[in-house]
Amino acid sequence: MNWKKQVIDFIETRLGIRDILEQNLTKYLLPRNINAWYTLGAVLLTLFMIQFATGILLLIYYVPNPAEAFQSVERIMNEVPFGWLMRTLHAVGANIIIIALLLHMLSVMFMASYKRPRELTWLSGFIILNLAFALCLTGYLLPWSQLSFWATTVATDAAGAIPLIGDDLVRFLRGGSMVNEATLGRFFALHVMGMPLMLGLLIGFHLFCVRRAGISRAPFGPDYQPREHPDHFEHEEHHDGIPFFPNYVIKDTAVICFFLAFFLAIVFFAPNLFFPESAFEPADPFVTPPGIKPEWYFLWAYQALKIFPSEIIGLGVQGAFMTFLALLPFIDRGAERRPFKRPLFLTCYALGILLFVGISIWGHYS
Amino acid sequence: MTTHVTPPQRRKFLFIILGGVGAAFTALAVWPVWRYLLPREKTGEDAKIPIAKADIPLGKAHFFSFRGQPAVVLQPAPGQFVAFSAVCTHLGCIIQWQPGKGECLCPCHAGRFGTDGQVLGGPPPKPLDSLPATVEGDQVLVG
Repeated sequence: MNWKKQVIDFIETRLGIRDILEQNLTKYLLPRNINAWYTLGAVLLTLFMIQFATGILLLIYYVPNPAEAFQSVERIMNEVPFGWLMRTLHAVGANIIIIALLLHMLSVMFMASYKRPRELTWLSGFIILNLAFALCLTGYLLPWSQLSFWATTVATDAAGAIPLIGDDLVRFLRGGSMVNEATLGRFFALHVMGMPLMLGLLIGFHLFCVRRAGISRAPFGPDYQPREHPDHFEHEEHHDGIPFFPNYVIKDTAVICFFLAFFLAIVFFAPNLFFPESAFEPADPFVTPPGIKPEWYFLWAYQALKIFPSEIIGLGVQGAFMTFLALLPFIDRGAERRPFKRPLFLTCYALGILLFVGISIWGHYS
Repeated sequence: MTTHVTPPQRRKFLFIILGGVGAAFTALAVWPVWRYLLPREKTGEDAKIPIAKADIPLGKAHFFSFRGQPAVVLQPAPGQFVAFSAVCTHLGCIIQWQPGKGECLCPCHAGRFGTDGQVLGGPPPKPLDSLPATVEGDQVLVG
């Protein structure tokens, strides 16, 4: 008996790892008509891991202090070997994650996978999306550039439109009446510790929900029939399905590679795609640069605030829209999941995407 | 002539190819991280450190940072300047100057060093690392 087998047998006898692996890899069967859109979860896990790793590496040289933050980022970009790579991976990665999160949400919506019994999976996923937005917002301030400073000023100022508590809320978010050292301190703590912890827990819960309920069958093909979910717990089995490993892992890997290629193409060939000029100037609290715009994924909210006659109506509409999305599985309760048998949903879905894109473009050029 | 490739052979071939590609990509990813984490060489690391003679009175010690490490310069006799690393050769604690006794003491395990850096007593296995010190005008140059 060789030593490798001895080590494996030792662990196997005590923990039964082989059984866990079998149950979750080779004997874990997925629906036969599963498609590439289902891989976005694995893509996101990979991207979050890259974000986590590059974030830790950046922490080694970043100084969270208004007097030194900008210089420390400049040092990372210009002096530390491969610092530019770590920082660009982190900054561009945030944008790629938002793209993947939106695609994941849209594909789940299109295939109505949010429906019973997967309401909690949807809800946790929706909170993850919002947490990712919050991570982007808090991370945006850290380089302490003109863009960071003024984008944070505008973003936190929007909360002031909330009646009664608005002003206090703005002061609380900023740690003072203006964006200052205290804002950097709290945003830094939230960005590197508070939010990643919450994100980790939520991702864990989301994956638990996915695994416990079972993978939903894609609502396509002649064999698909909608069915009511029973009142008791039931794991969706696919006895005629394909094994997760190796069949689906290969598809996961292929789409992950595609996303990484897209991601790295931006990092190497268009690293400044998401950096306007004001991102390269240190923050000056006395000079507001002209034409400060939020990141592309906040443009719809930015423009919506401008369209409505008062800020409070704009915020109210945004809040109502986000609440509607969060509660979608509790509102749309029918068993039908085939997109083309749900014309009302499909129309709203298509118009919603067009509206998001249209308002964002309007916001960009306004 | 046809050659027959069995499934195990094909599997082995694919395993080797994928393993090779995987190893290459891993190396590509690890190299920047390794370089990023390596301690950076500072410019002027080999430059001499000037210390004003007035800062090193007779029978006193002056502690300073020499290329990132604590060091000490002494004037044991008029006009004679000696410099050493201030890191004890036992377990790396920083030595202290004992003006009354004219020797250095390591506060961790009571290692004692003379003004020539030699071990006088205690557990240190070897003398303090000596640093070249030269006098130029009203300055002592160490390094």
